Amino acid sequence: MSKATVELPPKGGFNFDLCRRNDMLTKNGVHAPSFLKTGTTIVGLVFQDGVVLGADTRATEGPIVADKNCEKIHYMAPNIYCCGAGTAADTENVTDMISSQLLLHRYATGRESRVVTALTLLKTHLFGYQGHVSAALVLGGVDITGPHLHTIYPHGSTDTLPFATMGSGSLAAMAIFESKYREGLTFNLVYCAFVEIPQRDEGVKLVTEAICSGIFNDLGSGSNVDVCVITKGKVEYLRNHQKPNPRTYISSKGFSFLKGQTEVLSTKVTLLEKPQQEEGVDKMEE
Amino acid sequence: MEGSSKSIAHDVGGAEIDALRFGLNGVKSDIIASHPLQSLHQSITKNQEDLKKTVLASTYGAAFPLKMDLDRQILSRFQRPPGLPSSMLGYEALTGGLDDFQIEDYFIDPQDSETFRPQDMHHGMEVRLGISKGPVCPSFI
Repeated sequence: MSKATVELPPKGGFNFDLCRRNDMLTKNGVHAPSFLKTGTTIVGLVFQDGVVLGADTRATEGPIVADKNCEKIHYMAPNIYCCGAGTAADTENVTDMISSQLLLHRYATGRESRVVTALTLLKTHLFGYQGHVSAALVLGGVDITGPHLHTIYPHGSTDTLPFATMGSGSLAAMAIFESKYREGLTFNLVYCAFVEIPQRDEGVKLVTEAICSGIFNDLGSGSNVDVCVITKGKVEYLRNHQKPNPRTYISSKGFSFLKGQTEVLSTKVTLLEKPQQEEGVDKMEE
Repeated sequence: MEGSSKSIAHDVGGAEIDALRFGLNGVKSDIIASHPLQSLHQSITKNQEDLKKTVLASTYGAAFPLKMDLDRQILSRFQRPPGLPSSMLGYEALTGGLDDFQIEDYFIDPQDSETFRPQDMHHGMEVRLGISKGPVCPSFI
């Protein structure tokens, strides 16, 4: 055997090149911007033949509400959805990455994704980053083995529960669940002749109530209620299912801003010089 | 290692002493990773490979992962000259890396890093052929 060693080409991913420099800068008194406080209420519960996920729609950056109507229920697979709390970028990108892995897995196997597959992929990913990816998730879905609901903590630990809450409003929401949840909640949809009026059943009602409890009792949560109902072979994403916080003042005349509202103080137009055509130069043949 | 006596000792390019090619040795910075996650990241791939080997050995017998290991060694040698990017198609087909599309595949290409120093192709080739000692020193150009 020769002593030749062949190294594999380096791959991308996280790069630690600048950590030492940043450490040095911190020691010399340069302080990087600190983390901003996040807040969310996300919940999920298992009912008779499916899973209901719920989320509020407020995105905060510290004391500021960054988005009043954001989406916190993320698509994972046609039969699996995932609510995310924590850093918005982390939750969105983690769920995106895992959902692409699930899709590739479905292409390879030709079968419907299972919830445990998504769970294992998510928790190994999060554990690999030791909590640096701050995503607290509620994963729910219905597969061949029935409805499943899991919570995943940022460090990679998981729970399997009949009802689960996450985020800063989790305590407020859990209070509702613990007092009102019972096994075998029902979900029936009765469609009227023309207008689609789902007869709301207990599962969705309870989830909405729990999210509302988070919205009104937790400062980090607010605005509207998103609900996602997953049953066997069917998903209903009820975006803005309830809007308990409408705008308090809307002008009855509407807001129309006429042109010329801003006074023009001075105008200066600089004409571009015409490019002079060079003659005698052959044009490039195509 | 019966053939090791035949190979030419060529310790001139030893990494530890050659300050002209590798820069001055900062011992502490070489040993300690710059971030607690870094060592974990390096070990996590190896641990997963070991786990996979154990599973394969208990499923198909001890010969199977051994044979795969030989294939892996052969395929890992199928590369462009050092310093040029290799796609490692055969290697990834064996390891199953082709079926995945993960963060390493698109997130930060090491070639685009601002601290990237290309490898010296001459030295890299010598190391690959077993003429010179590794690790490969960065290029001066």
